[in-house]
Amino acid sequence: MTIDWQAFRLTFELALTVSAILLVIGLPIAYWIAFSPRRWKFLVEAIVALPIVLPPTVLGFYVLVALGPRSPLGHWWISLTGHTLAFTFTGLVIGSILYSLPFAVQPFAASFASVDRRLIAASATLGASPLRTFFRVIAPLSLPGLITGAALSFAHTMGEFGVVLMVGGNIPGVTRTVSIDIFDRVQSSDYAGANATALMLLIFCFVILAVVYGVNRKAWIITGTLSSGA
Amino acid sequence: MERSQILRAVIRKQPGQSFLLDVDCQAAPGFTILFGASGAGKTTLLDCIAGIARPDAGSIAIGDRVLFDAVKDINLPTAKRRLGYVFQGLSLFPHMTVEQNVHYGLSRLTSAERSSRTAKILQAFRIADLAGQSARTISGGESQRVALARTLVTDPDVLLLDEPLAALDAPTKSTIIDDLRQWNRDHQIPILYVTHSREEVFALGERVLVLEAGRIVFEGTPHEVMAAPRQETVAQLAGFENVFDVTVQEVHPERGTMLCIISPHRPPAYGTSGSVWLETPLVRAGVGSKLRVGIRAGDILLATSRPGGLSARNVIAGRVTALEQRDVIVSAHVNCGVEMEVSLTLAARDSLELTPGREVWLVIKTHSCHLMRN
Amino acid sequence: MSCMNLREADTGNMKSFLCSMLIAFTLASVLPSAKAQAKTEPAPLVVAAAADLSSALKEIADNYQKKTGVEVKLSFGASGALTQQIENGAPFDLFFSADMDYPRQLIASSHADGATLYEYAIGKLVLWAPADSPLDLEHKGVDVLLDPSVKKIAIANPQHAPYGRAAVAALTHYGLYDQVSSRLVLGENVGQAAQFAESGNAQVGFVALAHAVAPAMQGKGKYWIVPVDAYPPLAQGVVVLAQSQHKKEAADFLQYVKDNSDVLKKYGFTLPH
Repeated sequence: MTIDWQAFRLTFELALTVSAILLVIGLPIAYWIAFSPRRWKFLVEAIVALPIVLPPTVLGFYVLVALGPRSPLGHWWISLTGHTLAFTFTGLVIGSILYSLPFAVQPFAASFASVDRRLIAASATLGASPLRTFFRVIAPLSLPGLITGAALSFAHTMGEFGVVLMVGGNIPGVTRTVSIDIFDRVQSSDYAGANATALMLLIFCFVILAVVYGVNRKAWIITGTLSSGA
Repeated sequence: MERSQILRAVIRKQPGQSFLLDVDCQAAPGFTILFGASGAGKTTLLDCIAGIARPDAGSIAIGDRVLFDAVKDINLPTAKRRLGYVFQGLSLFPHMTVEQNVHYGLSRLTSAERSSRTAKILQAFRIADLAGQSARTISGGESQRVALARTLVTDPDVLLLDEPLAALDAPTKSTIIDDLRQWNRDHQIPILYVTHSREEVFALGERVLVLEAGRIVFEGTPHEVMAAPRQETVAQLAGFENVFDVTVQEVHPERGTMLCIISPHRPPAYGTSGSVWLETPLVRAGVGSKLRVGIRAGDILLATSRPGGLSARNVIAGRVTALEQRDVIVSAHVNCGVEMEVSLTLAARDSLELTPGREVWLVIKTHSCHLMRN
Repeated sequence: MSCMNLREADTGNMKSFLCSMLIAFTLASVLPSAKAQAKTEPAPLVVAAAADLSSALKEIADNYQKKTGVEVKLSFGASGALTQQIENGAPFDLFFSADMDYPRQLIASSHADGATLYEYAIGKLVLWAPADSPLDLEHKGVDVLLDPSVKKIAIANPQHAPYGRAAVAALTHYGLYDQVSSRLVLGENVGQAAQFAESGNAQVGFVALAHAVAPAMQGKGKYWIVPVDAYPPLAQGVVVLAQSQHKKEAADFLQYVKDNSDVLKKYGFTLPH
């Protein structure tokens, strides 16, 4: 009935890596969605939102087959790295980035869009470049949305199952995440182990989310009442 | 740097509303007031000059510096236009202190220069004691002074102000107006000041541009506006409470007057014929022309018995429908076939014992009827 | 609420429209079930089956439906997974396992009818590689696993798939387990292991012979049959489940399978005697 701590560490590493990367690539995408005047913006928004409705098996399928050694893309990847994307931590990271993308980008974009446009205009009239305006005005006032996006993508990846099942190969320490571990135990009728592991995951995620939302509340108080309207 | 520069703007823009913004104007150093009703296009005009909105055609320049030219495809980004823009309502950065707000635009200066300039302007606007406070915690009047300080400390070539005093009380307004006037004396740059308040026009205005439905319908000094208003917006500016559509019925060049009939809006009061005739000054219009008449509430006399032997040509019977008291002025609404607003003193109301329902007579001089084109 | 009390006004029209919709909807949901009971259609069978039967059992079930009109619905998966589902109340009528232990487990927990236990086939384990693989399976057999180009070896998860257990047994038998264990990737069931190998993500895989000879895989790969002495025989058993509402129909189908076992032979299964 021992808990597989290696699986926990691996899952935590995966979630941390994915949400860190999503912070970096999600911000520019969210900025574009929030401020671009282009009329075909709605298409990009739909693409970003796709992973919410698609089953993770679709993503897993593409990583496995479409990026597998038989496809030109997969072939190129193998020549670069020496092995396929499947069965590796990197493969999980890439699959999870795609899968958790909307959970980061949507809160980011929503909080950017809720920053009073006049504050952004004021910053411009005072001579600030768009980059400076972003770092000095937009980002600080969107802090609640940024924290929410990072927390959601972290939590979502902690619970990632479908993509991992499709392409992970269940390798201990590399791709055997906690959700796979629980699944395995249930299938082997080790209900006690499954129960203990599930409970541990629940507590772990709850504590992290509670801390993040607690910090977020303070940030919201500072920025919340003023960043929208008035 | 040449400071006495003139702002020239030729702007055509279809902003998605019902009308087209189409202006060709100039602003010399000093105060130029932009007056008009909401939705007339004033904010859009300022936004175009600032680079926040993009005109469909035209050009904008300050002296020799071209900010926008549709033909040459020049469109300088807002941050490079070197102008100041104070918005209506709150636009202070809420997550920064007053001091951080004020020196936000001075990032290119050395730290020492930045502190000294900031300190000077905080002193000038009497907000130095607020420097360390968060921008969220200061009052409305203080906020607008901070907003002005923040904009003016960057030494802009043009100042754009969009109803900056709208949410403030009278004493606060007048101190800020004094501050602005003082600043204007020291730094001669074009200042475009948008307002819909008559008091601010006359307090600040050296020149007035009246905007209606996207077009400039009048340009001149505030006094010129008072003298012969032609359009309704201008009439509002000059303070006509009563504006009616009339049709010319008779023209009397030998008397120097015309007889017009006001189209009635309501069932006439008891004892009246149902339509209202006005004798107005003669203008170049034939019988049947449709014109507009403006009469100031303060130009109408009220009598409780039918007066006789007056020089005034218009004596109209009516009934008081409502009485409104505003400070020491009483506004009487009288139905004489059309509704007229008449201003009285409290003393007059009391001595005439005016109440709603009372029969009265309105006395209006010919020259109190100001004619406007429709 | 009474539809009869509506007045004839504009809002009344709206209300009567909604009323008639409500009546129509109620009728629509009541009538079909009444209709269904009027027809005499045989109830479909729901069958849980090990992943290695995915081609063979489909063909048998199709033939059975053509012959008797009874629809057989198939659910494939790892035998361990299916066992666990059945123990938790999954509504299957029959369970075709890839071993004998799982059916016995169900009998012991009273989820299956002991009298119906029947060994229907013996499965075979093969080592499979894609057709264009440079590995010489035919001559080297299991030694190909030592080739440096073999980075990943796919097997079914030994924790709940009989073919996975067999693969591990075979590797141990040949003394290769310790050398290759770090390169193993586990499929959820032997079907997924085959898919890992077939897509090229794993260079070889231990899969069921039934997969290797299935029409879909024809010409796509080459394989080496693992000698039967290298692993405990994959005796595959079937049981009728205790909770089944159609035990007679299940028994009929089971009899049909027994009678048509040459189909199983076609897919590489051996028949027990």
